Amino acid sequence: MTAPTDLLLATEQAPDALAPVAASGVFVLIAVMILVPLVSSALLVLGDGPRFDLADKRGHLLGTAASLASFVIGVVLFVTLLGRDAGDRSIEQNLFAWIHVGGFQVDMTFLYDPLSALFVLLITGVGTLIHVYSIGYMEHDPRRRRFFGFLNLFIAAMLTLVLAGDYLVLFLGWEGVGLASYLLIGFWQHKQSAAVAAKKAFVVNRVGDVGLALAIMLMFAQLGTTSFVGVAEGIEQVSSGTATALGLLLLLGACGKSAQVPLQSWLLDAMEGPTPVSALIHAATMVTAGVYLVVRSNFIYEGTEAARTAVVVVGLVTLIAGAWIGCAKDDIKKALAGSTMSQIGYMMLAAGLGPAGYAYAIFHLITHGFFKANMFLGAGSVMHGMDDEVDMRRYGGLARLMPLTFGTFAMGYLAIIGFPGFSGFFSKDRIIEAAFAENVFVGIAAALGAGVTAFYMTRLMIMTFLSSRRWKENAHPHESPAVMTAPLVVLAVASVLGGFLVLGGWISDWLTPVTGYETHELAVPAWVFSVGITVLVAIGVAVAWATYGRRDVPSTAPEKVSFVTRAGRRDLYGDAVNEAVLMRPGDQATRGLAVFDRIGVDGAVRAVTGGIGATSSLLRRAQTGFVRSYSLTIFGGALIVLVAVLAVNLA
Amino acid sequence: MTDHYITLSLLLFTIGAVGVLVRRNAIVVFMCVELMLNATNLAFVTFARAHGNLDGQIAAFLVMVVAAAEVVVGLAIIVSIFRTRRSASVDDASLLKY
Amino acid sequence: MIHPLLVSASAPPPIDSPTIQYGDLSPLLVVAAVALLGVMVEAFAPRALRFTIQTALAIGGIVVALAATVWVGLGLDRASGDVLARGRVVAEGAVAVDGPSVFMWGLVLLFALVSMLLFAERRLEGGLSAFTGQAAAPPGSAMEREAVEHRIEHTEVFPLAMFALVGMMLFPAANDLLTMFVALEVLSLPLYLLCGLARRRRLLSQESAMKYFLLGAFSSAFFAYGIALVYGFAGGFGLGDIDQAVSNRIDGQNLLLAGIALMAVGVMFKVGAVPFHAWTPDVYQGAPTAVTAFMAAGTKVAAFGAMLRLFFVAFGGASWDWRPMFWVVAILTMVVGAVAAVTQSDVKRMLAYSSIAHAGFILVGVTGAFVGTRDASVTSVSSVLFYLTVYGFSTIGAFAIVTIVRDASGETTQLSRWAGLGRESPLVAGAFALFMLAFAGIPLTSGFIGKWAVFSAAWSGGAWPLVVVAVLASVVAASFYVRVIVTMFFTEPTGEGPSVAVPSMATTAVIVVAVVVTVLLGVVPGPVLDLAQSAGAFVR
Repeated sequence: MTAPTDLLLATEQAPDALAPVAASGVFVLIAVMILVPLVSSALLVLGDGPRFDLADKRGHLLGTAASLASFVIGVVLFVTLLGRDAGDRSIEQNLFAWIHVGGFQVDMTFLYDPLSALFVLLITGVGTLIHVYSIGYMEHDPRRRRFFGFLNLFIAAMLTLVLAGDYLVLFLGWEGVGLASYLLIGFWQHKQSAAVAAKKAFVVNRVGDVGLALAIMLMFAQLGTTSFVGVAEGIEQVSSGTATALGLLLLLGACGKSAQVPLQSWLLDAMEGPTPVSALIHAATMVTAGVYLVVRSNFIYEGTEAARTAVVVVGLVTLIAGAWIGCAKDDIKKALAGSTMSQIGYMMLAAGLGPAGYAYAIFHLITHGFFKANMFLGAGSVMHGMDDEVDMRRYGGLARLMPLTFGTFAMGYLAIIGFPGFSGFFSKDRIIEAAFAENVFVGIAAALGAGVTAFYMTRLMIMTFLSSRRWKENAHPHESPAVMTAPLVVLAVASVLGGFLVLGGWISDWLTPVTGYETHELAVPAWVFSVGITVLVAIGVAVAWATYGRRDVPSTAPEKVSFVTRAGRRDLYGDAVNEAVLMRPGDQATRGLAVFDRIGVDGAVRAVTGGIGATSSLLRRAQTGFVRSYSLTIFGGALIVLVAVLAVNLA
Repeated sequence: MTDHYITLSLLLFTIGAVGVLVRRNAIVVFMCVELMLNATNLAFVTFARAHGNLDGQIAAFLVMVVAAAEVVVGLAIIVSIFRTRRSASVDDASLLKY
Repeated sequence: MIHPLLVSASAPPPIDSPTIQYGDLSPLLVVAAVALLGVMVEAFAPRALRFTIQTALAIGGIVVALAATVWVGLGLDRASGDVLARGRVVAEGAVAVDGPSVFMWGLVLLFALVSMLLFAERRLEGGLSAFTGQAAAPPGSAMEREAVEHRIEHTEVFPLAMFALVGMMLFPAANDLLTMFVALEVLSLPLYLLCGLARRRRLLSQESAMKYFLLGAFSSAFFAYGIALVYGFAGGFGLGDIDQAVSNRIDGQNLLLAGIALMAVGVMFKVGAVPFHAWTPDVYQGAPTAVTAFMAAGTKVAAFGAMLRLFFVAFGGASWDWRPMFWVVAILTMVVGAVAAVTQSDVKRMLAYSSIAHAGFILVGVTGAFVGTRDASVTSVSSVLFYLTVYGFSTIGAFAIVTIVRDASGETTQLSRWAGLGRESPLVAGAFALFMLAFAGIPLTSGFIGKWAVFSAAWSGGAWPLVVVAVLASVVAASFYVRVIVTMFFTEPTGEGPSVAVPSMATTAVIVVAVVVTVLLGVVPGPVLDLAQSAGAFVR
């Protein structure tokens, strides 16, 4: 079915879009897109040892080239897709039968449709820029080759995730990005904190993965298939309870990957990884996989109001919590990480709104990918110039010394706070509008979040680039090399212009075949919202200016602060809650089990083996060696047998 | 009448079995086994008579043949062990145990 | 029936000669002929050539018999009036040539073939066989030394083994009780003699022969008396006649039940079931290892075959009477076998107790008495046949390895002396470890499939508590199999470690065959399982 652009007012469903056509022509390159970084990754990671000097010297170029190649293919495919009718924009490539057991068949299927296409561009585009940036950022690291290997692995896994045509293939990519994330967070594993953070990310993500895995199993149990097409067709037959369970389980998976409450705790610690990693994986791409999962599973959420509400609630809570944390952190990367949480909360919220919000969730996801990657890389550039100092209270007045970094960062800043005309203005506005249409309170909370965002981002700007210099003695801030600033410039441009995707309703038209679309009825004209939100943002900026711009910023964090700040600094006690609710009882339980194992199980086993040994010795003694005693056992045995047979008959 | 013969046969069988259990000399033990086989023969013949067919009597002959074969083999073994040990007591041959 | 005495002398009726189906019986006849020929060779062939001739004769005869078995097996017709059984009763009702018979013929012939290779091993004792040169000479006497000097060998072991083989083939195929009894003796008597013929440790060997003989004779007396009682009940010896009498349940119930019990004593003694097992460890330890291998594999097949035929065909109608007794014996056998093996310090004794435990596992399959349905579920008969195949090859392989682990005084059977074997000879120790794993029933070895088959047959037959006990016993059994592996691979040798003698091609071939079969039946059991399945049921 074609999606007429003039029917935007009507409710559009998209069942037919999930009847993909087989890949032909350039679309056979879909798998190549994944294969190239995968092979490159294998070469870079495995090509170790003295004979691979070249890999050490030139490996980063191979990694970057692989990512670039995927991007080029992505662009070619995207352009080809643009040239197709809206109804034909779903292409399926079936490589081979992956699992074929009895009635259960999983094919290694890739699905390339408008949704995947956007993700491919984002992942490979931003990914390539970050590869380029990393050439400079990781220049002095002896294990740079390995770093690029892991980055390539991430690209391959993330592409598998978004191109999968089957939940199980998606799961493969899902675990792949989890692995890459783990390896990269702990890339400097000689630092205790990095190793711990990597482990934490891994463990928390497992909790979410259990949700996804259970969802896939439930699909198989209820529908007998795990392919997107099969599930979309079969979902109408299952009970609403099953649909709700599926929705909630998928949400659990999404929470883990996207650092949504209650599985948010790992993201802030994940900032221990190299900054390009934070930019690529923990801001622009991987953490948005949860949003992708929810949007991709729109056919499941369609039938379950309860699960959709849960998505909205999770999004909203995370939105507020992330913003709160972002206000309190002095570590520049953690402040940005709080902001990431918060922005993904916006996307989640939009995704929970159903067809009215899917397109805007993806829209915000893309603009956020641009401006947040931009700002993370900017933060990395600042750290690069400040000897890896991350405490914003030790920055100040860097605008003049790092003009390019400051300029590009400012573009990102304006985009995220939603300065009119910048990308964030468009994407966030749409989400808040949709939220108001859904529920006034949700709308108000989302709008307040925008104000808070403006506050903490302004705080960050002021403390880093403006205000007085509070550097440590031996700091010599300097601008970063061109190889690092060039990606910043590109991303800054994208941060500014990304918003134009929405002009003429392009983004929602584009995604309608996949997600469906419905417009929302607003009580007041849309421009009222824009003005109202802009006013809120202005208030946020003003408050921040009043707090940090007009006074000197102390170079150590003040101790006497309100509870609100303290809670924010401690990640809203997320770790404390985990510790009290999960870890301590878990510890107690394992300790109890260990004791039970030692006394109960081991004791029983020892008693049994001891008993068997004693019986065995006894039986051994019975074998006296005298043939007459053997005759006696036979004779006795004959009597037993005789009695046994006769007794049965008498009984 | 059949019962009497069978009772006698059972008695003989039991005497033979108990003899195997209590006697030490290998030859005597072996003779007790032969006694058990003879008790069997008596039972065969008695039942043949009772059923009025010849099968049991033929069986008695076959049992005798088997017993004779057993004697050949058994005596060979017992004699060889007697030559080695200068003793025919079954209790002496108790190296294999536990 | 006309009483013979009433036939008048004036008109003697013509005597019909009995019909013998020589074709169907050809495997048996070939082996019997070879045995007799072997005796002739002993009498007439020059001493120097005897060993070669006897070996060639035995092995050639077995191969011919195997070919004949295959031919007979391919020609089996479906028995009338039965969905599963194939074959017929031949030789005036004395022998049943049916699926199980032919399968077991093939099996004992294969076991005999590899055992003969072990018998023919001469390199380990410096050019002499493992059997004594002069059985009549007391150990350590001048006569014995003379025999060694003149390199005299008892080549009678080959015809003796052939006679035992005739018994092993006839025992499970016998279709009347008398034939069964004769077959039992033909199978046993040569084995008694073979047990006493070891070249080394002759005192132990002779003792084992005497124990085996006395106890065997004792138990066969029970068997014979049981036959007499059953005859008294049924008035005939044919298994079919007895089946009819049992089904009709004419009076004399106690006669039948006592007969069943006493006959059970006889066959259970042969399979080594508790409480009739006492001979097994002593005889297995004392007998020459090649004989132990032959006996352990072949006797088990023959005795279980006879047991199945006896209790399924003749006493099938009374299964509710004898099954509880089998439950008791099966549980006792598994538990005692597995538990007693735990503390054994001698490899051969350990294997003997293991064989007792395995007899228990097979008894589980028998006790299930599951005759199967039309679909392909595993029946008691086919599962037992498969288990016997699996167990036999692994056992022969294990004993073959025992023959090559040696020190100055011959075979080293002390388990503690096997420490460090894994380092000394990884291949041999690895093969032995494989057999241990198969005995323990670890997946990917034949033993696992065998256990699965008998347990599932028993489960289908409703004997699930027995299966539970069997699984527990398997766990206990696994512990001592693993202990052997630990000793070989992970224990430091004390003093001088064991040494592995280099055997001739014969023993090597036996070990290789056993390893291949053990692995193959673990990985692709299908064909043999199907063969056992198609062997089907007994003819009546």
